[in-house]
Amino acid sequence: MQIFNDYHDHADFLTVYVREAHPTDEWQMKSNIKDDVCYAQPRSLSDRLAIANDFTKRFSYPVPFGVDDMNNAANDAYAAWPERLYIIDESGKIAYRGGMGPFNYNPAEVRAWLAGRYGEVKHPEEKPADGNPPKAPGAQPAKTEAQT
Amino acid sequence: MVDTLCTPFSRNLAVKKISMWIGVSLGALLLIAFVALSVMAGGPKDALYMVRYALPHMHRGNLKVGDSAPDAKLFALNGTETFHVRQRTGGKPLVLVFGSFT
Repeated sequence: MQIFNDYHDHADFLTVYVREAHPTDEWQMKSNIKDDVCYAQPRSLSDRLAIANDFTKRFSYPVPFGVDDMNNAANDAYAAWPERLYIIDESGKIAYRGGMGPFNYNPAEVRAWLAGRYGEVKHPEEKPADGNPPKAPGAQPAKTEAQT
Repeated sequence: MVDTLCTPFSRNLAVKKISMWIGVSLGALLLIAFVALSVMAGGPKDALYMVRYALPHMHRGNLKVGDSAPDAKLFALNGTETFHVRQRTGGKPLVLVFGSFT
């Protein structure tokens, strides 16, 4: 998750695992069969935790992680399914509410919010054909603005 | 004597024609909507699943910018520890990423 890598010094991140979007016993997608991501909708917390652990291990997922309970409390509170993004500011208020995924799931909007506060993070271009090394890495935020 | 309760034949015919065109138009609109949904979803079967699983969620939730972030208890990956979303707020901005594996 590039945004996490770019901004984890400035913002906290939390991934919340909610009920499956495309389990084998509901709306299974062909792409999931191809990628060998085939799980039935969890019926117990241990099933849900097992899938969440598979996910984090498969991708060596670096972002802090929480799992919704079987009453789907977090999902209901945030209208989260199938995927959605939020930013909560320092005072505990919602600063950004993303649209319902996948069509309105837009990480670029989160990046823009963070960039507006902490500066844009530029990434080096691909290695050019002439064999010269890429330009100096721009992994650090371009500028840091005072928090409001 | 003219029977005023009877509708003239020509008027009946006009009503039938209008009803037929309304029916045909609605059918065509539904067909176009289904084809568009199929293209968007990836196929006719996915369009049906979208109607069944996704449509009911499309207008859920009324949170808006400026509202207090709701709290919820979450489990850590080990399944034994728990924490609350609000425990993670207050220091820096918190980016919440909701999703699943599939």
